[in-house]
Amino acid sequence: MIWLTWRQHRLQAAYLLLGTLAVSAALFPIGRAMHSAFDNDGLAECLRTNGNPEFIRPAEGMGCGEFADLFMGRFGSLLPLGILLVLLPMLVGLFLGAPLVAREVEQGTHRLVWTQGVSRLRWATTKFGLITLFGLALAAGYAVLLTWWIEPLAAAAGSRLEWLVFDLQGVVPLAYTLFAIALGIAAGAVSRKLLPAMGITLAGFVVARVLVAWLGRPRYQEPIERRISVVTDRLPNELHGEWNLSSGVYDASGRQIVANGNRYCPPEALANDRAPGVCDPTTYNLEVYQPAGRFWTFQWIEAGIFAVLAAALLAFAVYRVRNRIS
Amino acid sequence: MSTALETRGLGKRYGRNWALRECSLAVPAGRVAGLVGPNGAGKTTLLHLAVGLLRPDAGSVRVLGDTPETGLPRIGFVAQDAPLYRDFHAADLITMGQKLNKRWDSGFARDRLTQLRIPLDRKVGKLSAGQRAQVALALALARQPDLLLLDEPVASLDPLARREFLQVLMGGVAEHGTTVLLSSHLVADLERVCDYLIVLNESRVQVLGGVEDLLATHKVLVGPRRADRAGPVAGVATVIRESHTDRQTSLLVRTHGPVLDPAWMARDLTLEDLVLAYLAEPSSGSLPGPDRLGIENGMEMTS
Repeated sequence: MIWLTWRQHRLQAAYLLLGTLAVSAALFPIGRAMHSAFDNDGLAECLRTNGNPEFIRPAEGMGCGEFADLFMGRFGSLLPLGILLVLLPMLVGLFLGAPLVAREVEQGTHRLVWTQGVSRLRWATTKFGLITLFGLALAAGYAVLLTWWIEPLAAAAGSRLEWLVFDLQGVVPLAYTLFAIALGIAAGAVSRKLLPAMGITLAGFVVARVLVAWLGRPRYQEPIERRISVVTDRLPNELHGEWNLSSGVYDASGRQIVANGNRYCPPEALANDRAPGVCDPTTYNLEVYQPAGRFWTFQWIEAGIFAVLAAALLAFAVYRVRNRIS
Repeated sequence: MSTALETRGLGKRYGRNWALRECSLAVPAGRVAGLVGPNGAGKTTLLHLAVGLLRPDAGSVRVLGDTPETGLPRIGFVAQDAPLYRDFHAADLITMGQKLNKRWDSGFARDRLTQLRIPLDRKVGKLSAGQRAQVALALALARQPDLLLLDEPVASLDPLARREFLQVLMGGVAEHGTTVLLSSHLVADLERVCDYLIVLNESRVQVLGGVEDLLATHKVLVGPRRADRAGPVAGVATVIRESHTDRQTSLLVRTHGPVLDPAWMARDLTLEDLVLAYLAEPSSGSLPGPDRLGIENGMEMTS
């Protein structure tokens, strides 16, 4: 079975490996440049000396925002590239997972291979297992590279928990890849045709990823709230790593004055208040956020969700192969 | 006499339609059985049930004494259109067989393909349909099966390739006394090679028996014109088809003894005529009695 799997899939494997290497070759120099700029152009130095506290006093020194802005001015345009990079696991599902059962059935060769001396269960477990392992190996390389690559960008942008940034590093890329492959295999075992299987994989991957990231991720743990008076000389440090879910300005009775925004008045501004009521000291900013320290907890929770989904899909595919395809 | 393939009340349903129903039959070991019927009669369904690709919705099926399950040794199968991995070389397919089967004769497959001048180092997608069918057959035979099932093996072949395929098949199974069940919607393909016949029609078994027995017990009787569905003729069990001209009546009948009435002239008929007559009359059938098959037969008998 191992020989057969290799003989059948070596071309796909080679193409995927080449593709991964090509992407790595393109990303590597950019990553080098980002790390070098981060380390040498003042941002790393600044964060080290000011200790990157939760609050900063702009009056006593400006924090590191200016260095971060400088860095983002140079590399911030790379962030949209993340949209392409998060889709890479899906490609593995499309080109490795979807054809596994679908092409076999489409060409009728399942009737050749299943009537040899191995049971369908063994055929399915060996092939699914080996293909999944190969996909995971690719994903591991991808995850290591991107974790390193995105690190300075995440630090300068503010939070590792932020959309797209979270999705490209740590353990979740492996879970997404596992899920994409399992989805491809299961879609093929249902549709029995390659093109519909690829369509289902594409749509299913995007929908599952968006739903989990959008509905699930902000709620993996109860978010934290902090209230900061409008009149203050201590501002939240945007580089501290909180993942801001919402912010707004409220008056003393709890009524929202400003949605999706903050308002800060330095204490000395109260003396010459030209717009009365704007800097009312009883009004406060309410921020709801996930703290940076939860990064790994969130990584494991999200990876767990997709791993469980993948396991269910694979079990379903094995069932289909054993009982529903002839 | 042992039985290579046996089904009892076997049925398979797709949604609300029965692709095969109340199918009871037995293929004795050592026979070369033809499975004949029009397209959609349930031939492929029966073969897939026999190799374990499908599971029955009713009744049971046993092959070589076992309940079918994919991966069983001793059973060879060539599916319809002889599917092969088209980007594999024939030699790769032989290696595959060796890796996937405990019982496997690579030398046999290689020799056979060499004899047929089929290149081992060319992608099978580039071979002709006839050559691909031969490769599929060689792979099935290399498993050294005791029971070999072939689904429409010659349907896509030209007449010359058909003849060659069947020759190779018969040569291959003669050595080991392999039981063969091959399906076709054309009787003519099978006439030369089969000594046992199963006719499936409209999802049911219609005719079952040894070819010699069937030919010996079916006759065309020609006699003077008589009324349609007139009285019985001595020695005739069933009239399957009746046709009249102005002066003559001819009956295609199943006999249960010699027809001695001098008014009738008995003539032998070909297997093809026999099958076509039955297929045209789905309500009639020729099945061995329950005693001969040793099983309860689900089919209603017309005699």
